[in-house]
Amino acid sequence: MTAGTVRATGGSREALVGRLPARSSLQGLRDMVVFLARRNWLRLLVWVVVLVGMIPFVYESQRAAFPTAADREAYASIANTPSVAALTGTAYAANTLGGILVLKIWMTLAITLAFVTVFLVTRNGRADEESGRTELLRANVVGRHAYTLANYLVVGAFNVVAGLGIAGTAMALTLPVMGSLVLGASLTGVGLFFLGVAAIGSQMSSSGRGANSFAATVIGIAYVLRSIGDLNGTVTKPGWISWLSPIGWGQEMRAFGLNRWWPLMFLVVGAILLCWVSVKVEARRDLGFGVLPDRPGPLAARRFLLSPFGLAVRLQRSTIVGWFIAMVVMALLYGSVASAMVDLLGTNPVFSKVFEGQGQSITNSVVGLLVMLNAIVASAFVVESALQLRVEESSGRAEPQLAGSVSRLRWAGERLLVPVLGSFLMLIVGGAVLGAAYGASQADPSQLGVLLGASITYWPGVLLTAGVCVLLIAFVPREAAAFSWAYFSLIVIISVFGDLFSLPPQIINNTPLTATPRLPAETLSAVPLLILAGIALLLWAIGLLRYTRRDLVQGA
Amino acid sequence: MSIANRENSNPAIEVVGLRKSFGSQLALDGLDLRVESGQIAGFLGPNGSGKSTTIRILLGLLRAEATTVRVLGGDPWRDAVGLHRRIAYVPGDVNLWPNLTGGQIIDILGGLRGGVNKARRDELLQRFELDPSKKARAYSKGNRQKVALVSALASDAELLILDEPTSGLDPIMEAAFRACIRDVQAQGRSVLLSSHIFAEVENLCDTVTIIRQGKTVESGTLAELRHLQRSTVSVIMDDPAANLSLVPGVNDLVEQGGRAVFTVADADLGSVLSDLARWKPRALVASPPSLEELFLRHYSTELVADGVNVP
Repeated sequence: MTAGTVRATGGSREALVGRLPARSSLQGLRDMVVFLARRNWLRLLVWVVVLVGMIPFVYESQRAAFPTAADREAYASIANTPSVAALTGTAYAANTLGGILVLKIWMTLAITLAFVTVFLVTRNGRADEESGRTELLRANVVGRHAYTLANYLVVGAFNVVAGLGIAGTAMALTLPVMGSLVLGASLTGVGLFFLGVAAIGSQMSSSGRGANSFAATVIGIAYVLRSIGDLNGTVTKPGWISWLSPIGWGQEMRAFGLNRWWPLMFLVVGAILLCWVSVKVEARRDLGFGVLPDRPGPLAARRFLLSPFGLAVRLQRSTIVGWFIAMVVMALLYGSVASAMVDLLGTNPVFSKVFEGQGQSITNSVVGLLVMLNAIVASAFVVESALQLRVEESSGRAEPQLAGSVSRLRWAGERLLVPVLGSFLMLIVGGAVLGAAYGASQADPSQLGVLLGASITYWPGVLLTAGVCVLLIAFVPREAAAFSWAYFSLIVIISVFGDLFSLPPQIINNTPLTATPRLPAETLSAVPLLILAGIALLLWAIGLLRYTRRDLVQGA
Repeated sequence: MSIANRENSNPAIEVVGLRKSFGSQLALDGLDLRVESGQIAGFLGPNGSGKSTTIRILLGLLRAEATTVRVLGGDPWRDAVGLHRRIAYVPGDVNLWPNLTGGQIIDILGGLRGGVNKARRDELLQRFELDPSKKARAYSKGNRQKVALVSALASDAELLILDEPTSGLDPIMEAAFRACIRDVQAQGRSVLLSSHIFAEVENLCDTVTIIRQGKTVESGTLAELRHLQRSTVSVIMDDPAANLSLVPGVNDLVEQGGRAVFTVADADLGSVLSDLARWKPRALVASPPSLEELFLRHYSTELVADGVNVP
């Protein structure tokens, strides 16, 4: 009996201690997968619908634009311009509808999928760990890597579903089956690779913001690398630099062209390797800490920090720097490419005709579009920065500040000076860099002044966008972030892709971006600028008035 | 008597019949609160009874509905900016900027109030053993609480509004906090202390306000509140003939062997004791009701209805 008892004890101990360690780090994996799926399902569903939904829209508009094989052949002969190469890749199959579809939408989908993947991984990973929710989960019978791995699995599955949806939709539109499959797989592959990058980011930084900016930087580098490679290549073969970029690997699967499968291996193996490394890092580090250490900080605050404006600048410092770097890189790249782009377009009678028909020179149309890209970046910055007002409120940090001797109006006003002044500086820097780069390639230094002015012209429109955010924060605080970004996406899509979706010109030409005279293509006129400034002023006034009169609302 | 005198002077906080609703949900429904100048007032109530909502109204962060709310003689919504120069606040749930240091945050919050007393700030950092060079994300709950406390206590504010300020502190730090609050009172300043720790309120507070579901159910000095409640008497008697249940004024009687425990109203205490004397008790302990008992008794009907056993 004693022996039996001992054996029984031994057995149960083995069950508790002996057998578990082999699997214990993944204990509860299935529960975690279910939990994450439940927590994210709506977000995942919306993104799948958005990503897949772009395919039929763009397909239909391109089919309408190039109805016959002859139209497509004509297009293919002029499609492979440096600007296209730099922005979206080489036009290797522009004589087919599938090839045109890839040319128009592949890069947008790939970059969107990469960012969505990064944000999802961070949201469930580092952001949860930072807020202490991971600790709450891991204190239960949950293995060390169960939650992390479940995160990779759920986000990975999202990428696969998005790819399958895109492939299926393409097939349903009667595009070639093999090309459709390669299209879906190439996008899934790029998404998966950046899942791995985000996983590493979450291990390096101890904050969600740091993890996101790490991964976003890698996406930016990957994009620029393949941009350089594609510019230096031919239709059949990109420059070797493209092969250093995971986005380049996805492109080189060449959906509807060569239909290659082997570059997918790089992406998937890369993703698995990165996830494996981050799990290994996780096994070695303490919960809540990143690989990069936190250094001790100042013992006291400098004078600058004591004003709401100074504090807002300090809190947004790293993101502001990030926005400026993005702006400068973009302006440099497009500024130097613009002349090559124009030269090529200029020699082509079809394009000259199109632009001349609209009473504009090709050069100015292209450059005008590039200046508007500056305004889009500045608008995105303004939305992000203005919403920090709401972040302070929802997190409960506004409360002790407003319990100080500072009025709501002054507090909000000083904080909102950051997007107001920041966007002005960004437009100046972006315009100057674009002008300098373009002027250098044209040997025309006067371009600096011209494009600087063109860029600053967008300031009233950008302030209007900021005003929309202020209004939303004041009236619908809980929904302000979602609505503000929806508004931003809407005006960008209408302004840039309005023609692609065949929207009426009254809508396309009246967003804060398109209502601004598109210098240097159009002539400067004060009326639209005054109207934009007037609307902006009205939105700001109503928004701030309401903000000073409403209750503070904590919590998201 | 001294209290009667004080009531004539200007109170630090005066709230009468406060109401506040969020949409269709009524958060406060006739709340009264009075904090006399130079006193420490305890503010008690279960979770969700409206303490934090009241405090946010006192700070002008939420807007009161048709009531009298006076803080330091002003309207907290309209005169917020001016009043906040004279008020220091510690929130119940301290949320800090993760990438600023404790030292920076103390200065920022103090600076918004109109400046920090440097010498006192450094003394408080020592007293609370807080390292100001650490980033806020590295602080524990208790240390985050200390950041807010140091910032508030380092000010010269006339009124301190503290929402569960010691909820994350260890007993040593709690003692340091009590000492600081007594210093504050010695300087003639007023304190509103919302708390769940009865010992802390009994130890520090001159007056107590107990609220329930957005209404004030009890307020006054601790002595006044105790007067309304029965004292607990525990007695040991050897006389087998003793029959306490026949004595008028004895309530809640529990007998076990020679030991009996019952409650008695202050007014009946004299007659009950003389009745007891016949049976020659060997030992007798009479204790006034603790704040915890007062508090629990107020909620006992609610708790009994919910099936919770109240001692």
